[in-house]
Amino acid sequence: MPRARKTPVLIRADTGTPAAVRAREGAAHPQHALALDAPLAKPQASTATLARRLWFCVYLPDLPLEAGGPLEQASVVVEEQQGMHRVLLACPRAAAAGIMPGQTANAALALLPTVRIEERSTLREQQTLEALATWLEQFSSVVCIASADVLLLEIAGSLRLYGGLLNLRRQIAAGLQQQGFGASLAIAPTPLASTWLARAGQRACIRDTANIASALRSLPLACLDWPAAICDAIEGMGVTSVGDCLRLPREGFARRVGAQRLIELDRALGRLPDPRRAWRAPERFCADHEMTEEQGDREVLLAICHELLLSLERFLLTRQLGAQRLLFSFFHLRGPATQLSVGCVGPERLAGHWFALLKLRFERMTLPEPVIAVRLYGGRNQVLHTESGRLAFHGKAGGQRLGYSMSQLAERLAARIGKQSVHGVTTVAEHRPQRAWCLQSVLGDKARTTLAVLRHSLKRPLWMLPEPTPLPAEHGLPLHQGRLTLLEGPERLETGWWDEDGIARDYYTAVNPHGMRLWVYQNRNRTANWYLHGFFG
Amino acid sequence: MPRDPDSLDTLLQNPRLWRGRNPAQGMAGLASGYELLDRHLPGGGWPQHALTEILTEHYGIGELRLLMPALARLSAEDTLADFTEPGWIAWVAPPFQPYPPALQQWGINLSRILIVRPRSDSEVLWSAEQALSSGTCAAVLLWPQTLDDQASRRLQLAAEKGGSWAIAFRPLAARTEPSAAALRIALQSGRAGLRLRILKSRGGRPAVLHDVI
Repeated sequence: MPRARKTPVLIRADTGTPAAVRAREGAAHPQHALALDAPLAKPQASTATLARRLWFCVYLPDLPLEAGGPLEQASVVVEEQQGMHRVLLACPRAAAAGIMPGQTANAALALLPTVRIEERSTLREQQTLEALATWLEQFSSVVCIASADVLLLEIAGSLRLYGGLLNLRRQIAAGLQQQGFGASLAIAPTPLASTWLARAGQRACIRDTANIASALRSLPLACLDWPAAICDAIEGMGVTSVGDCLRLPREGFARRVGAQRLIELDRALGRLPDPRRAWRAPERFCADHEMTEEQGDREVLLAICHELLLSLERFLLTRQLGAQRLLFSFFHLRGPATQLSVGCVGPERLAGHWFALLKLRFERMTLPEPVIAVRLYGGRNQVLHTESGRLAFHGKAGGQRLGYSMSQLAERLAARIGKQSVHGVTTVAEHRPQRAWCLQSVLGDKARTTLAVLRHSLKRPLWMLPEPTPLPAEHGLPLHQGRLTLLEGPERLETGWWDEDGIARDYYTAVNPHGMRLWVYQNRNRTANWYLHGFFG
Repeated sequence: MPRDPDSLDTLLQNPRLWRGRNPAQGMAGLASGYELLDRHLPGGGWPQHALTEILTEHYGIGELRLLMPALARLSAEDTLADFTEPGWIAWVAPPFQPYPPALQQWGINLSRILIVRPRSDSEVLWSAEQALSSGTCAAVLLWPQTLDDQASRRLQLAAEKGGSWAIAFRPLAARTEPSAAALRIALQSGRAGLRLRILKSRGGRPAVLHDVI
């Protein structure tokens, strides 16, 4: 929450409030400007539209404890407070032994020597929350991570599909329980009302906006998650519940507590709109497999990689996407992680296909040390265009060719012998023979289909030397494993004066005593040297 | 001794009996484009789905020209005929650069050319085997340093499996080594043209052909 600063706010005349009234505080956020126009007037928002929405709140009070995995033994989560590790949360078994939040870690150990003590990890909590949000996306298209322990779902649109409110609630509750989360659930037409009700631990289910106020009235201030200073201040005034807050004059409340709190109350009651941004699952896949002890067996590591690839496939399948590059990281206890990247010609999602490629690379990889964890990081995801299967035509052997496609073959070859060692070729419209062609990647786009076509009368050799080889000459005729006989020529090529690589040559077809047909040329300069440029194959 | 009229047929059906000339045994060959050669090859052309060895001492005497008409037909095969793409032609470890303008003049579809340059001889054989058994390459040309009996058998099996035509180029000295190839041809330049000796031809007969090209 950014620190509120004092901003004079002009009140519009048509709101019916005295123009002299100034809001003492306003939020720094520009998006609140609209709401701040009239924080003190009781807004009569179009409640009819708000009531169409229904917010399902999942409040996870024990998330720090549950994020650590299944609770198999008595355990507590500790947090460092003023240099001391103090218990933040204790599981029921630990609580039964007398461990309470606020105790030091040593006290907890003294009460229950077998207790497992874990330090709080907010990162792990965040990851758990995101995993849960991903899971909840099956119930609603709008899932929000409202705060560090609150998830919100907009369920008005899902009620019919899931067979009514109670059924939906039962399904979500069962799923949460199965995953080992003790959650407090509440349903209300506004996000804040459902959050507050869930925090208060009330299994409330409010469907009508008009009923919100009565449901919230009894809630203690603690469930509003307001800063402690504000709560203390208004409790000092004898205000202990939401109902008490609502009874206060709006003007005075805004002056003492802040306009932002008034806006929150209005949003909870449905008087002001409360737009929420839906959380989206990250579009990149990243999964870890951690082991309890170091593992050097390559077969075991491959099996782990296969599992990771299967989860990647599920991830991509639900999104109808494919990945083109994957990065495996093998972590060691000492030393940097070993990286292994695997690439594909096009977007791909089948685990079996990736695994075959991985195996080729993995065989040649050396691991300096045993591995403690494996991470699979999926590169940028791309839309996967799948093809419809073909009908099998009887008697057409070609229609049911076995094996795999060309791109898969190119991938396999490139994976083992290197990307630069596998390529296609194409021609270029250019008179200079050494520039009349170029390599073309078969792993990338095959868009270039325009080819330069050479006249048929020009003779070109099937074999080209990478560089012309100088030939010795005798009586003006070149030698290559014997004296050459010139059969055809010359074909004069004099071009390329505009760049560094200009040529002036007379090309001949020659044959040597072994019957080799050669493509030779004589430079058209004063030296008149002979060169061998190709074989006719 | 009782004469059974069927005994000859029974005998002929015995798989252990090898008959020198049995055109029904093999499938139709791939026309080479050279009439003289086609006449001497069983099935009237290059053996399909099998390994062919071409033994030659020098480059440039016509070893590629001999193959070009057949390769051109393979790479430009009618796509509508069987709903499949035309096959690729893989060149594994060629000694020089195959020159695209010349390939194009011979009618080869350049978009179907795949050039693979492995770093070691074992990778040459591996790549060729992969390409042959993939079922996407109509022909695989390879230039291995060495090709022992076992390796040639593997290539032959891969060619059968993938329905592909394997062509291995080897030095003339290799003609004494055993090989599982269906066809072995030695090339030497003659006085007027190419002299071609069929050393081994499965279902055919050895022969010496003059002036093929």
